[in-house]
Amino acid sequence: MDKNHSDPILEIKEVSKAFPGVKALDRVSLEVFRGTIHGIVGENGAGKSTLMKILSGVYQKDSGEIFFDGNKIEDITPVQSMKMGLSIIYQELNLVNTMTVGENVFLGRFSEMGGRKEVHAKARVLLDSIGCKIDTEKEVSELSVSDKQMIEIAKALSFDSKLIIMDEPSSSLTADEMQELIKIIHDLKNKGISIIYITHKLDEIFNFCDVVTVMRDGHVIATRNIDAISRNEMISMMVGRTIENEYPPRPNSVGEMILEVEDINTKLLKNVHFNLKKGEILGFVGLVGSGRTETVRALFGADKVKKKSIKVDGKFVNINNPIDAIKNGLAMVPEDRKIQGLLLQFSVDKNISLASLGELTYYGFINEKKERDISERQIKALNVKTPSGKTRIQLLSGGNQQKAILGRWLELKPKILVLDEPTKGIDVGAKYEIYLLMKKIVEEGGSIILISSELPEVLNMSNRVITICNGRITGEFDPLLASADEIMAKAFEF
Amino acid sequence: MNKKITTQSIIAFARNNLIILGIFILAIITSFVEPNFLTVGNLQNIMRQFGPLIMLSLGMTFIIMGGFIDLSVGGIISLVAVVTVSLIDPIGQVAALMVGVVIGLICGLLNSFLIIKGGAFKQSEALFLTYGMSVVFTAVALIYTAAAPVFLTYSKTDYSIFTAIGERFVGPVSVSFIIFLVCLLILYIIESRTHIGRSICLTGGNMTAARLAGIPTEKTIVFIYAVSGIMAAIGAVVLASRVTIASPIMGKGYETQAILAVVVGGTALLGGKGSVLRTVIGTLLIIMMSNCLNLLGVTTYIQYMLRGAILILAIWLDNRKQYSEGN
Amino acid sequence: MNTKITEPIKNIFSAQKAPIAMLLIFITMLFFKTPFYTRYNLIDLINSNSTLLIVAMGFTVVLVAGGVDLSVGGVMTVSGIIAIKLINSGVSIPVAVLVSILFGAAIGAINGYLTVYQNTEPFIITLGMGVLLTGVAQELTTARPISGENPAFQNLANYKLFGVVPALVLVMIVTVIVVVWLLRSTSFGRNCYAIGGDYEVAKYSGINVLPTKTLTFVISGVTAAIAGVMLSSWVNSGNSTYGDQTALYIASAVVVGGTSFAGGIGGAFKSLLGVMFIGILSNAFNMLNIDSYIQQLLVGLFIVGIIWLDCYARKVKRETV
Repeated sequence: MDKNHSDPILEIKEVSKAFPGVKALDRVSLEVFRGTIHGIVGENGAGKSTLMKILSGVYQKDSGEIFFDGNKIEDITPVQSMKMGLSIIYQELNLVNTMTVGENVFLGRFSEMGGRKEVHAKARVLLDSIGCKIDTEKEVSELSVSDKQMIEIAKALSFDSKLIIMDEPSSSLTADEMQELIKIIHDLKNKGISIIYITHKLDEIFNFCDVVTVMRDGHVIATRNIDAISRNEMISMMVGRTIENEYPPRPNSVGEMILEVEDINTKLLKNVHFNLKKGEILGFVGLVGSGRTETVRALFGADKVKKKSIKVDGKFVNINNPIDAIKNGLAMVPEDRKIQGLLLQFSVDKNISLASLGELTYYGFINEKKERDISERQIKALNVKTPSGKTRIQLLSGGNQQKAILGRWLELKPKILVLDEPTKGIDVGAKYEIYLLMKKIVEEGGSIILISSELPEVLNMSNRVITICNGRITGEFDPLLASADEIMAKAFEF
Repeated sequence: MNKKITTQSIIAFARNNLIILGIFILAIITSFVEPNFLTVGNLQNIMRQFGPLIMLSLGMTFIIMGGFIDLSVGGIISLVAVVTVSLIDPIGQVAALMVGVVIGLICGLLNSFLIIKGGAFKQSEALFLTYGMSVVFTAVALIYTAAAPVFLTYSKTDYSIFTAIGERFVGPVSVSFIIFLVCLLILYIIESRTHIGRSICLTGGNMTAARLAGIPTEKTIVFIYAVSGIMAAIGAVVLASRVTIASPIMGKGYETQAILAVVVGGTALLGGKGSVLRTVIGTLLIIMMSNCLNLLGVTTYIQYMLRGAILILAIWLDNRKQYSEGN
Repeated sequence: MNTKITEPIKNIFSAQKAPIAMLLIFITMLFFKTPFYTRYNLIDLINSNSTLLIVAMGFTVVLVAGGVDLSVGGVMTVSGIIAIKLINSGVSIPVAVLVSILFGAAIGAINGYLTVYQNTEPFIITLGMGVLLTGVAQELTTARPISGENPAFQNLANYKLFGVVPALVLVMIVTVIVVVWLLRSTSFGRNCYAIGGDYEVAKYSGINVLPTKTLTFVISGVTAAIAGVMLSSWVNSGNSTYGDQTALYIASAVVVGGTSFAGGIGGAFKSLLGVMFIGILSNAFNMLNIDSYIQQLLVGLFIVGIIWLDCYARKVKRETV
């Protein structure tokens, strides 16, 4: 380790945390030194977020010790951790949209700060110190994501933070905004503040981090100085196996055109157009909020659009709601499994039969025998691990829940299957099963649109990749020919 | 150890069914204190009182199972009652009845139209909208009759159907009870066997997910409010027939009673599960309670108070149950 | 198509149209020969809306913090009846008033405990509380109006300061000032906005969400009780029907003013304008001799319209992606 930074601000010793069915953190140890920018990388589900939530007091650890600034941390609340000088800037920003910038900086400390005037004056000083010119009287709902991040940083500074943790701050920033953020991070470092920078983008780690810790499956794999690790080393540590093993061989049986999206326009989306062929997996690459999810939702009739013209099998179709979409052979596994996908209080049976209910209905009556058959067939076909079809789906693991949702759609034999973050929050084994399933679907003549935040997943599974940025299609690639860097460049283009 | 668990489970059972137990205890006490309680006359009396409320409650069950609420049924009752009774002379009793049911249907459709077009998919939003509609329906009823009641017995033409609904018995059961059985059967079949019945539960369970999976959630909302409107209209006819009078404010307070009956029966206010069968029990309990309290000489005002208290208690207990199930 | 409809609606709710609408009524009334513009009527306008304004203040606090209190009508009625009954039975006026107000606070605390600490839906719990209180009011009065027997009690609301301003109006003005100050310039008030705006964020920011939100219900109970006592004194009687539609009326008035059911948006002064607007509207109806049931219909339609627009504005916001 670097001799200059020999005094740790944060020490994590052998911390473990388990959730029902998942060991989220397994004896994780980590030291962060004063005045360093410490990167933490790892794929989704590596345990980064869990670790941060333990630090901030949102979760309580099962075992292990944490020392911050020389003090042992035990049963801490989020506020206590902030007051100790440990601030976290989450991906889902912690701001009240209906309140002003100034009040958000000092949320819950109105009279401590001395009333309205003082709040705004002090917020002004803090914002100026990071070169941010937003009016403190402005309502937060009117701000861009990057502005909101600045306010979070100002909020962190207002607590005299000694350590600021940034959880994937770049995930919705433009290139310029990113440069601005890097400058601020360096300023903070010069003021003696330590930064933990969580990301899964390797470039950022190499650009400005001093030290990096790689996490995988709830373990810390290694902590190295940045000049002591190569990119390839880092990747193999993150993934833990060669990439070939992680994904089944790419299917290749692309046939004739099945879907032609000539134009989709919404408030966000500008003239989005693309096509999909039979037996093809089409990957969408873009940031959260870039328009990738919005595009498929518009396609599926889930949201209102300004203008839309879509051809399925060469014929123009009108899709105004999900029912129309299903009639035209579309199916969608939505982004948020618990809110948009599952009926948590209902049985596995009823969750699986959901989309087929129309087919099971004769003169308004549901054929319950057929319903059970469908469910049994899909549970068997997809290897859904459940005590019985009558079990509440809430009790299943994430992977099995996701397989049940897939079963719900596969029963309809859709021509076009949209998968929005299909492997989010599920374990590696179940992921592989889902990849195999995708392969099987296209080999049997289906087509898939795949959206994922995990670039390797999209690149390894897709026959073709489209980049979306700021509501526009910015590029189209063959993942076998294009490099990840090229594709990312287009996805970040503004 | 074993015994301890048993006592605990008894306590848990008692806690989960506190209200039902309470009403049973009340009934037992009443039967001792007041020998009139278990007479044929009184039981028939309970059956008659059961008539109007159960109709509303059955409709309200679908609404609550679908995750919504309907406070306009009181207004619908008033409106349908005055219009139907006043139309007996001009258009005859059969046509008047039909007009009454159609008015109930239209009121329900209006509610669902407002809810869907306004995107009032939260229970609280639906509550305010239907609360406002109740004022509107009542005002229309008041304007229609110039605030005066309409007397069924003043009708110059034949009103035998109303008389039959109001006081006739077929064997030991009243005509209104037969109407109830028919309604119950139809609604129970809808609830348990049909696509729309399942859609109601699914919409109440998770409207977003149901919609994305191709369940016609908006049609479902239209359906439940239409059913609620029709059931309120039938309730109005039963009520007007029984009291032989239709007043433009006669439905007041029925909406909270219906909600109470549904919730006491055990249909979750959050939506997604429940049954019209449970509501039958809930309604019966509510009616029995008020019958017992009447026999024991408790004023209607205190009964009103108790209704509010039980509503609060039922929701509170249900909430605790959901919470413990959730973990 | 979206923007065409959205823009004007957005404006209604963001740019505070209640004063403009009021102005329109004032202008319209110039064209009719009515006693609208008499000194007597304008004073009456303020007097008769004072109790509602007091209730609306507490109601706004609850709404801002993301709750709702439908029991205000019941609290108002019962408090007024308690005051009258206590005074009639010889209890001194200050004690009676204090007891009534404490009663309001207690009901508010129960509402708050059940909805905040027990995490139940406030609208249904307070609806139930409203039913319960109506029963209490009926029991206390046997559903008949009761009149005050101590003339001194009448003075509480009717005493005219400088011979002009009735004490009722004074109490209203003080309540408005206190609540405006509370919401605008105190830690408690700002925390209410944070809780209503985003409950989770408020919680993680170290705001004591549970006691704060509970306190909003207590405040609502207190203002409703004050209004009830003042109303009883003003008309020197108590009646179980006084509060029948108060909650709905206040709810729509407050929403017209610009406070949303969504929580975190609005303010006490806006609610004042909203209540005055509906007050002036119904006063104008009276002056124009519109039949009282037609008035009820119009008010009902108006309420449905306003609440519908509040929902619709949120729907448009949700759907514009």
